[in-house]
Amino acid sequence: MGAGHWLGSAFLATWLAASVRLSGPVLLAALGEIFAERSGVLNVGIEGTILLGALASYLAAYASGDVWLALLAGAAGGVLSGVLLAWMYVTIRASQVVAGIVFNVLAVGLAGTLYRLALGASAAPQTVAMFEPLRFPLLSGLPVLGPVLFSHAAPLYLAFALVPAAHFVLFRTGFGLALRAAGENPKAADNAGISVARMRYAGTLISGTAAGMSGGYVVLAEVGLFRETIVSGQGFIALAIVILGRWRPWTAALAAVAFGAADALQLSLQLFGAGLPPQLLLSLPYVLTILAISGLFGRSAAQPAALMQPYAPR
Amino acid sequence: MTPVVVRRPGPNGSPAAIAFHTALAVLAALALAGALFAVQGADPLAAYAALFSEAFGTMRGFGFSLVRATPLALIALGTVVAWRSGFGYLGFEGCFMVGAAAATAAALASAEGRMLAPLPSWLALALAMLASFAAGGAWAGLVGLVRTRLGANEVLVSLMTNYVGLLGVQYLISGPMRAPGGLPQSERVPSDVWLPFVIPGSRAHAGILLTVAAAGLVWFLLRRTPLGYELIVAGLNPAAARYGGIEVGRRVLLASVLAGGLGALAGMAELLGVQHRLVDGMGGGVGFTGVVVALLARLNPLAVVPLAVLYGGMTVGADAMQRGAGIPSSIAAILQSLIVLLILASERLRYYRLNPSLFRLGRDRAGAAPGRPAGP
Repeated sequence: MGAGHWLGSAFLATWLAASVRLSGPVLLAALGEIFAERSGVLNVGIEGTILLGALASYLAAYASGDVWLALLAGAAGGVLSGVLLAWMYVTIRASQVVAGIVFNVLAVGLAGTLYRLALGASAAPQTVAMFEPLRFPLLSGLPVLGPVLFSHAAPLYLAFALVPAAHFVLFRTGFGLALRAAGENPKAADNAGISVARMRYAGTLISGTAAGMSGGYVVLAEVGLFRETIVSGQGFIALAIVILGRWRPWTAALAAVAFGAADALQLSLQLFGAGLPPQLLLSLPYVLTILAISGLFGRSAAQPAALMQPYAPR
Repeated sequence: MTPVVVRRPGPNGSPAAIAFHTALAVLAALALAGALFAVQGADPLAAYAALFSEAFGTMRGFGFSLVRATPLALIALGTVVAWRSGFGYLGFEGCFMVGAAAATAAALASAEGRMLAPLPSWLALALAMLASFAAGGAWAGLVGLVRTRLGANEVLVSLMTNYVGLLGVQYLISGPMRAPGGLPQSERVPSDVWLPFVIPGSRAHAGILLTVAAAGLVWFLLRRTPLGYELIVAGLNPAAARYGGIEVGRRVLLASVLAGGLGALAGMAELLGVQHRLVDGMGGGVGFTGVVVALLARLNPLAVVPLAVLYGGMTVGADAMQRGAGIPSSIAAILQSLIVLLILASERLRYYRLNPSLFRLGRDRAGAAPGRPAGP
């Protein structure tokens, strides 16, 4: 493939397939974060939660060799992180930003220590079993569409299947209504008989579970290894996706693919030898996010009104 | 069954209660991390002794502790200025890199045959500091502008700017500022603009003196000047401040510039004092650990430097233990974060007290003790 052909269909298929593939883990984490933020909790701690989920999944895969069990272990690690975070956010009523930032530092320390504790100090990194790309009869063989849509590992389809599910729960169920009420106007929700604390625990735990699975996803479908640097900003990317997606699952999925596309485009451009600085493309989604929240294009009514505000029932 | 603890109408705010609960939280954090030592077969007390003797027992180790403390303290001071003024800035990872890049550019311009070569080296060093402070001030000031002019949420915006800063520096060292050779890094800055070493036989550099001076200045600004008073009032209650004639927007903007400048000086100190060339990932999370130090100091500028030295020392001690005893150095991060988390949690404890009726043995549990006036 010469440099002159870099906009050919091979390039297009590689790029789009990688866009979809790279959007999976951050989409999963962002879907959970939507629940936390809709309940009024800015869960900055998902960065650390993803790391601990990745570790739990890695260790489970190392011990059992079963990828699905390992993914569940990641979710369990996320639930544990979520319990601690929710306790800090809701019961202790600490500043959410403070608790989240400090938790992220704790998670880096815990991940490094527990990894060495489990595998010994001198252990060389070992690869674990990974999800294989699924093969669909006929569909996977299609030109362009085959690699783009029908060549991914199972967790990716899980992440995208959760988009309509998250939308349904948030906007079509009583639980979703109560959760949103807790994040929009906690006092009114309280007066209406909704337990704001319970809703915020639920939102934080959902976000913890999803972030833990997202970490497992990175290990089990992308890397196959664990390192302390395996999670470098995916949690913050998820925060950006929630904002760019205006706190809604479907638009968040689009935003996740946009982030994935920027990431994939810089990889492909390097591969095909185009002379654009990759960092420019990588920073584009962040700049877009900043513009989206800056208020340059009007205030966003989508942001939950009570986001980041601890609520003390009285 | 009489409950052992009862809720107070408000938190116990006496200094003794605060000190007691803080000590309780620190001890609990030490105990939890000690359990992690024990699980790895180390005697926790001996491990703590080793940790702190490495960091503070020798001149060499103490020098390393000061080196680690310098960026932590400068970022913590930036946090103090910003957060005290009600500006919840979290963009210090980016500021650090922007400051390091600006210092590199200025320092490299003073190399042989370049634009600033005729300048005496102290002036070139001062210029590098100034460039760094100005770059960081502009970097965070933009976020301040977005907050004050457009009403955006500075927490989210500043978190996003971190990645723009990190990626920007990655671009610089793989493109315009890249030195010849295989690695993406800048040229080494000339040694006469390095921060001088200040303790013989150790790596401690003049950045620590700058830090102490900065802490004093921040304290003086916030506690002894009308401007600092306005900053703090703007942070405590913007509506009241506005009513009192304080231009809250301009004060917050000023705080954002100062905070960004301090965060950038952290990058400058790491570059001209330790790394001496711009490399990717030289921050290593210091932008967030610095915030943790500021929180531990309860946003008091004078408490920042000693606590930063303590936290820097923990990192140095833990690194040494990893080399010696094979205990993972990440235990330092656990200890550093647990202390703050548990102190936060302990604040809730101050809402409770031991049930007074437990101490009135046997008699008169229902009402007030005889001879004492009934409560209001």
